[in-house]
Amino acid sequence: MAAPIRVLTAVPICDGHDSAINTINLEFIRHGIEVVYLGYHRYAQDIVRAAIQEDVRAVGISSYNGGHVEFFVEVVKQLRKRGVDDIAVFGGGGGTITHDDQRVMQKRGVDKIFFAGTSLTGMVDWVHERYGPGKRGSRDGAPADMQLARKLTQIEDAYANGKTPRKPAAKKSSGTRVIGFTGPGGAGKTTLIDELVLRLLHRDDSSRIAILSHDPSVVGEGALLGDRATMINSQHDRVFMRSMATRGQAGGLSPATEDCLQLLAQSGFDYVIIETVGTGQEAMPFQSKLVDQTVLVMNPDYGARLQLQKIVMLDLADIIVVNKSDQERAKTAMSEIERRLQGNSREQQLVSTVAKRHRDTGVDRLCDLLTQPRTSGETASEEPKGRARLRRA
Amino acid sequence: MSKLGRVVEAVENYNTFVENEVKRSRTEKKFGQQMVDRWNQIKANIPIGTAPTGLKLPRLALPEIDEAGDITRYLLADGLPGEFPFLNGAYREMYLEPMQNPTIETGTYEKNGDGKKSRLNGSKNGKGNGASAAHNRLAPAAPKPAQAEEPTRLFSGLMLAEDTNARFHFLGAHQRSKRLSTAFDGPTLYGIDSDADGVFGKIGEGGVAVDTVEDMIRLYDGFDLGSPDFSASMTISGPAPIIMAMYIAAAKRRFGPDIVPKLRGTIQADIFKEVQAQNETIFPVEASLRFLTDMMEYTTRNMPRWYPVSISGYHIGEAGSTPVQQAAYTLSNGFAYAEMMAARGLDVNDFGPRLSFFLDCGLDVEYIALTRVSRRIWAIGMRDAFGAGHKAQMFKVHTQTSGRSLVAAEFKNNLTRTAAELMLSYMNGTNSCHSNSADEPFTTPSEEWIRLAAHGQAILLDESGIFKHTMNMLSGSPGMKAVERAVEAAILEEFREIERLGGVMGAVENRYQRSQIQTAAHRYEQQIYSGVRPIIALNKYRNENEEMPEFELARTPRSKQQLQVDRLKKFKAKNARKAEEALNRLAEVVETDENCFPALMEAAEVCSLGQICERLQEVVGRFRPMV
Repeated sequence: MAAPIRVLTAVPICDGHDSAINTINLEFIRHGIEVVYLGYHRYAQDIVRAAIQEDVRAVGISSYNGGHVEFFVEVVKQLRKRGVDDIAVFGGGGGTITHDDQRVMQKRGVDKIFFAGTSLTGMVDWVHERYGPGKRGSRDGAPADMQLARKLTQIEDAYANGKTPRKPAAKKSSGTRVIGFTGPGGAGKTTLIDELVLRLLHRDDSSRIAILSHDPSVVGEGALLGDRATMINSQHDRVFMRSMATRGQAGGLSPATEDCLQLLAQSGFDYVIIETVGTGQEAMPFQSKLVDQTVLVMNPDYGARLQLQKIVMLDLADIIVVNKSDQERAKTAMSEIERRLQGNSREQQLVSTVAKRHRDTGVDRLCDLLTQPRTSGETASEEPKGRARLRRA
Repeated sequence: MSKLGRVVEAVENYNTFVENEVKRSRTEKKFGQQMVDRWNQIKANIPIGTAPTGLKLPRLALPEIDEAGDITRYLLADGLPGEFPFLNGAYREMYLEPMQNPTIETGTYEKNGDGKKSRLNGSKNGKGNGASAAHNRLAPAAPKPAQAEEPTRLFSGLMLAEDTNARFHFLGAHQRSKRLSTAFDGPTLYGIDSDADGVFGKIGEGGVAVDTVEDMIRLYDGFDLGSPDFSASMTISGPAPIIMAMYIAAAKRRFGPDIVPKLRGTIQADIFKEVQAQNETIFPVEASLRFLTDMMEYTTRNMPRWYPVSISGYHIGEAGSTPVQQAAYTLSNGFAYAEMMAARGLDVNDFGPRLSFFLDCGLDVEYIALTRVSRRIWAIGMRDAFGAGHKAQMFKVHTQTSGRSLVAAEFKNNLTRTAAELMLSYMNGTNSCHSNSADEPFTTPSEEWIRLAAHGQAILLDESGIFKHTMNMLSGSPGMKAVERAVEAAILEEFREIERLGGVMGAVENRYQRSQIQTAAHRYEQQIYSGVRPIIALNKYRNENEEMPEFELARTPRSKQQLQVDRLKKFKAKNARKAEEALNRLAEVVETDENCFPALMEAAEVCSLGQICERLQEVVGRFRPMV
């Protein structure tokens, strides 16, 4: 089975009209297309960076607030400036884009403009025909992030085609730390990671970060890969982010994750962060030896205390984060989880955060835990247990 | 329970109260007779007017009922225009033309406002009674000014401030009152300066570019901002407190500091609907709400003629919500603002009358009565859950016809769509109205089509006799009543769901409103493509040979965009030192719990919009979009 087509969609800067693009995204997904959605009010350079890192076949832009000629052309120009000629740019803007505009835009490299009244089916068919499977070059000699993006595509495609690529030896660049984040849906993993990225970028102005983020999908069907839309701090030149659909695999990751992770771990990043999809109680997604630290992010609202006994990751995670701890139940949750962890024999840390809050001290604390020097692989922390202190964090 | 839960209870209790009173008027003979007497008195005092044809008509139409129960139900459940619960209108006469013959006696609906009558309103806490009774008292023959304001608002916003200013003067040339409504360009709406990287092509597109106090001065040049005939409405929410501060700064420069209490107008400033639907949010929700309440507190105390928030369903409707969702989210947002203001220690009778609303009017059947029902729920909720008096119970609303209902295919049909929507808007007793131009699907409207849209209103209100002779001309049909009941029940059900999610804020964090709106929008599109929802000339009676019309588009020339950038750079260079000081002071105040609006007003004198927004973001963070 051929790999799904991947496209990136976005709404330009100073434009919040996302009604049309939401409908189009849903239609694409229903017809087998994987959509990396960057969101609304997005700069051309963010779109270009994301398109390259995600190695999509095409970028779809939905514009309703004017300035479309300049904006579309700017995206094309920046792609070409970076030597990219195999990512197409298409889009529409209802009645706001005229035929005259379209002629100018196409002359300057825009692939296609859809006008008011185009049917959703027409758009889907066009994407399938125009951006369907086709050979893409290797990008040898291109800048590192472009080569890396293409190699990740090749790994994903190989798995989709039923081939198992040769696994490279499981080793990492020296100094690379791999951190796995997991937890139930709605716990705020994405926001938490984005806040961590903000801190990591600030603490060291040369550090480079890779993020491998996952969203669920069924074999042969599309997916909405929407983490970039909310990860505002991670749209940064020192962050390489890749959104993956699980393509039918249970447990929170994709069949191609391990190989992709190996590649990223060898690419000289300071931090490689993996985020699973929202997982169930029995999930234990990080079997990889490459993962140095694992973080379980929980919502205070997990139900009765008995539920905690069934969550496998509470035994395995190095750090347990209770996010959204501004909620009423947070105090109870912290003490219930603390008691649950006391039964475990290994060193674990418990942190309470409110990731949505600007400059949250809990997130600062988590960042400290994830950046402190280690002597060897497994142990997350040399610090004595300080749960009473942590609880106040 | 948040206040919204209490509002639901209040409406339920009020409906029960009405039915009990109906029963009582049928069983207690004395009470029944009182109601009948009151009714007869009201009818006897309705002035008679004369149409140009010579036909004599009462200035208020009432149902032909004479039984005590029916009378009680009508007076309590619907109310006369201008009386609680305001189903038929916030004011007594709305669009009626002044009486031609002043010798005809103009009475009021009732002669006496004694204590017994106020009890009829069913207020539990009694707080609402004082004002209500006062209003019922024999009115001072209510001499309406012969030159009342037109309910028409003149909406514009294009290119640079001087271009929009010229358009305002063009539009207002034949208007008695100057009620201007201003649209801003994308960079301004997002608090970004025109000289920022990557926004050049957006300068002056879709609205006017405003970066500094100097732009604000140019924007309203030639208008007397303190005149009772002038009001400025500004359609901006994300950076609203900063734009408001800039407006005040501009007014002070032109007219001196004494102008402030005279300023009259509206700023949209509705952060909740931005997060729920329109996506123009700059700061995290809680910080945005703090800046907003700081501003509202200031205007409530210092600018008695200003409406500091326009609680907007329009963008919720345009984003694809159902009409019921639009009304339910707008009303619940309004109650949430009221709750925040009350938490600041402000009196509901001070801030309540300064809350105004903005609704979308489309072609779905709910629009027969959506605004009527909204007015009723607001009045009951404000009176019984917030203890508001008469003026603070009134739901004052600006309506705009639906832009989303307009299509590019055979676009001249949009005139008909807008006309039907205008009719619905006025049937609902809107306080002011904007009619969209037929060329809206293509571009910022051109003068030709704006003129037609504005004339549509004049034809309806001035030329036709539909609204100018008699109040209630179209109110109260069995169909309208059926829609009212169904819509009210559906809105209360939405309230209950929001309440279950922890009130408006809890529901926002759960992205409840967003996902409901998105689902409705998707269904709407599907219905168009499947033909369930006929759109003439688009999916029904389509002309396959139609060519897309070519318009002279309102595009901003590059030279103008460059001019805006140059002017901004000059402003920044001139004020560099003062700006830094003002920004530092602002940042300091924002870190405390103090009201930061005074510091914002100082900063607006010397800083650009983008400078202020950036500094504030450093302190409170950036908005994280919800998808």
